[in-house]
Amino acid sequence: MAKVVVKDLHKSYGDNEVLKGLNLEVEDNEVVCMIGPSGSGKSTFLRCLNDLELPTQGQVIISGYDLSDKGTNINLVRENIGMVFQHFNLFPHLSVLQNITLAPIQLKKASKAEAEKTARHLLDVVGLADKVDAMPKSLSGGQKQRVAIARALAMNPKIMLFDEPTSALDPEMVGDVLDVMKRLAADGMTMIVVTHEMGFAKEVADRVVFMADGLIQESGKPDDVFDHPKSPRLQDFLNKVINV
Amino acid sequence: MKKWQVAVVMVLAALGSWFSLGATAHAQTYTIATDTTFAPFEFQAKGGKYKGIDIDILNAIAKKENINYKLKAISFGAAVQQLSANQVDGVIAGMNVTPERQKTFDFSKAYYTSGVVMAVAKDSKVKTFKDLKGKTVALKTGTAGATYAKSIESKYGFKIKYFNDSNNMYNDVKVGNSAACFEDYPVMSYGIKNGIALKIVSKQYEAGDYGFAVKKGKNAALLKKFNAGLAAIKADGTYKKIIDKYLHSSEASLTGETASSRTFIGLFTQNLGTIGNGLWMTLELTVISIILATVMGVILGVLGVMPGKIGPAISSTIIYIFRGMPLMVLAFFIYIGFPDLIGHGFKIPAFIAGMITLMLNEGAYTGAFVKGGFKAVDDGQMEAARSLGLPYWTAMRKVIMPQGIRIMIPSFINQFIITLKDTSILSVIGIVELTQTGTLIIARNFEGFKIWLMIAIIYLILITLLTWLSNWVQRRMN
Repeated sequence: MAKVVVKDLHKSYGDNEVLKGLNLEVEDNEVVCMIGPSGSGKSTFLRCLNDLELPTQGQVIISGYDLSDKGTNINLVRENIGMVFQHFNLFPHLSVLQNITLAPIQLKKASKAEAEKTARHLLDVVGLADKVDAMPKSLSGGQKQRVAIARALAMNPKIMLFDEPTSALDPEMVGDVLDVMKRLAADGMTMIVVTHEMGFAKEVADRVVFMADGLIQESGKPDDVFDHPKSPRLQDFLNKVINV
Repeated sequence: MKKWQVAVVMVLAALGSWFSLGATAHAQTYTIATDTTFAPFEFQAKGGKYKGIDIDILNAIAKKENINYKLKAISFGAAVQQLSANQVDGVIAGMNVTPERQKTFDFSKAYYTSGVVMAVAKDSKVKTFKDLKGKTVALKTGTAGATYAKSIESKYGFKIKYFNDSNNMYNDVKVGNSAACFEDYPVMSYGIKNGIALKIVSKQYEAGDYGFAVKKGKNAALLKKFNAGLAAIKADGTYKKIIDKYLHSSEASLTGETASSRTFIGLFTQNLGTIGNGLWMTLELTVISIILATVMGVILGVLGVMPGKIGPAISSTIIYIFRGMPLMVLAFFIYIGFPDLIGHGFKIPAFIAGMITLMLNEGAYTGAFVKGGFKAVDDGQMEAARSLGLPYWTAMRKVIMPQGIRIMIPSFINQFIITLKDTSILSVIGIVELTQTGTLIIARNFEGFKIWLMIAIIYLILITLLTWLSNWVQRRMN
């Protein structure tokens, strides 16, 4: 069975139907990039995958656990899904180290000493070893996002979700964050990335999914999607984002 | 986690023991209520002890008849209400026997007969009732003077303003807000002899009897003993001695104050003990209420931001009720209304009632800003915490609360200061805290300006200290 299985996913806010029946399967070690115009439902879709949004209808199955099943312990499932947000959402009252070690210590995944050792290692990986004791407000946007990635990785997740991780960054910060993500992908992490970075999608993704109007319009290998778009919707979108 | 649980259990246990203490003390001893400021029938002498004709008569009768009693000095209105609500067993407070009151109370034989007079400021031109047309008359609620003035209100065309104690009524006339007041003759003449700047301008009207009262159909044995004792002290001359002592001597000789004690410093040192007790009561009420209100407020705040509908609904309802009710109404409801509702002689000690009142009222305000503080924390914080696999309560405790509480600190400091000031309202249910202490001291020495200035300064000092303490804590937390 695929790692992530989504069947006929619907989500409405009152009368406004944002997701209109999505189907998607993501395999182990696969990197999927979701592209599409604003308001197409990409972020909502991603947030349904770890139950931050409750689907109105349909099924989400992560590593065999059905999220809509009442017997599923959502906290256990979430431990295995790392999430990175557009606005970082670091805990401002905790230091960089405490941000990363909070969950492992609270959930008794590791002793304090072990958690801190792991945290230092992860900070080294994202290139912020010198920021261990810094407070989040003293960091730049790019640094904050790399700490957020380290924080998610500290739980040793099997899947990583990225919700427009570079959209709130100054252009010169984007590269550092994308580099970290590329390394993660190369190490075999299963990743679903909502992004506007077409270059990144082209280079890293195993599969690109184009969403518009609450539906998956087209998906395939990056070369097919970017170089041979079939639907007029996708052609129109690519014209707008690439030929600025 | 463990520590606060222990603290909650201890507070509850303390509350419980207070309740049971109140109950057992009652079983052995009669509680007799009296007024606080009705010289020469009752007034507080230096050192906080009550003196006066009523007090001495009650004491003499109790000795003759072996009555065990505890004296409870509260305002006249509260005394009457508490008697009808079974909170006390009897009232002796210069109370006129009226047909109206006989419907709810049983009275002893009259122990004193007195008439109502009109008094005006020393330099006033008001000489007769006719001069009152269009003017305001000050009255004390529940007195014979008030009843009489009310009965001639429309005939002479004056307006009425009510006060809860004699001193405020006198002062209102003295400073000219009201043109005149109506008061029992012995009370008025005693007051004037002791420095109140008023003069009596009418003869005595509506002579009325003062009686000791119990609730109708209750405490018949106590009433019988009172009557027997009254006859006995009249027969052996004790009664006459008491009356003579109070009606024919100056207040200073009774209260033990000297002329030199009328300076600001003199008044302060003379009343240090009394003020100290009041201050201590204020501090006790403030500290306990702040703790209880904070606990309640945090619970309400957490309920208010809980997922689902039930928690927020409970939180909003409680906040709505207790924030919407004036503190004084709430105090009366808990102290007088609630026991009345339960019946069976159920009583709440004033201190406990006061504490519960403050807890509910300040707790509701605290709940509102705690809820607001938690809501002010960005939604992304909860999402980030939950997405790491943290359960809701862990996320709340480790991520949302520390940030929310930082936002709330200024509101907490503000609420602590309000709580301190609000304790003064509890004087209405007879708690002798700092404000009530002031009222009582002025009742015997009529030094309104100096004593209120003293009380105001003490409050300001307390609030300054509290603010410093809070700011220090705030700096430490940041």
